[in-house]
Amino acid sequence: MMWKEKYKVGVPIIDEQHEELFNRVSDFIQTVQTKGSWEQKLVKVKETMAFMQEYVVTHFDDEEVYLEKINYPDLQKHKDAHKQFKDAVNNYVKLLDEQGYSEEVVQEFSAKLMTWLIMHVAAMDQKIGHYVNSQGGKNI
Amino acid sequence: MKAEYVNSFYQATRDVFNLMLDLETEKESLQLVEGVISRDANVILGVTGDLRGTIMFCFPREMTLEMVKIMSGMAMDEIDSFVSSALGEVANIIGGNALTLLSTNQYSCDIVPPQIFVGDYKSTSMSNEKALLLSLKTSIGSFDLVIYLKEK
Repeated sequence: MMWKEKYKVGVPIIDEQHEELFNRVSDFIQTVQTKGSWEQKLVKVKETMAFMQEYVVTHFDDEEVYLEKINYPDLQKHKDAHKQFKDAVNNYVKLLDEQGYSEEVVQEFSAKLMTWLIMHVAAMDQKIGHYVNSQGGKNI
Repeated sequence: MKAEYVNSFYQATRDVFNLMLDLETEKESLQLVEGVISRDANVILGVTGDLRGTIMFCFPREMTLEMVKIMSGMAMDEIDSFVSSALGEVANIIGGNALTLLSTNQYSCDIVPPQIFVGDYKSTSMSNEKALLLSLKTSIGSFDLVIYLKEK
């Protein structure tokens, strides 16, 4: 499991979605890293990857709606970071679709995804919690 | 080499290790070297812009596997593409954070995507000049941060 309590930002709706996103990324990585023939696990790899990918969009969209609702001061910067994240994911998916799902490239992608997600949630998203607290904890 | 170059990379390493790996880092030793002996897993970052040169991270095998275990929550038993890519990305994030710190000192730089080499022991020369080798200690092992930077 990748999820850690320290990643919580203190806003339940965001924390629940983050935990779900971490779980989906974790499932994807676990499938990629399972011992055994790559050909045999490829169907499951694609399935967990699509499941993760879909939730990246859902979560980022929901988080942006929430940030707008609370008048988050760094909204544009946060949206830009989400866009960069989604573009990076989409570029890998495009590359895999075009060049085939080799084990090496899927491993590379899943590792990068893991670090990007940890960094985004452990650094940037923590500022959301700080802002909400500075506003007296309203809008949680 | 000025202190602010070195401090930016050292500070960024400390911050990212703390944030992503829950690890505290402390300086073990600091020396000037002419060449670097790589370890089991190594990441090279090229720096361009106002400062030019190379940053290199050299990790022992067990520490590399443990770092990826901390992030993924899964035990790793070999340095495969997943492990080496995760390591390269952590170094890349450190490089990005160091650039932000350097920009506060008016240095505008870029990082070239990381090059990772595994289990390939070799001595790497940082041109004819000396590089700074910083040995850093954590609770899961020690690693080297090598800094070779020159002003444009």
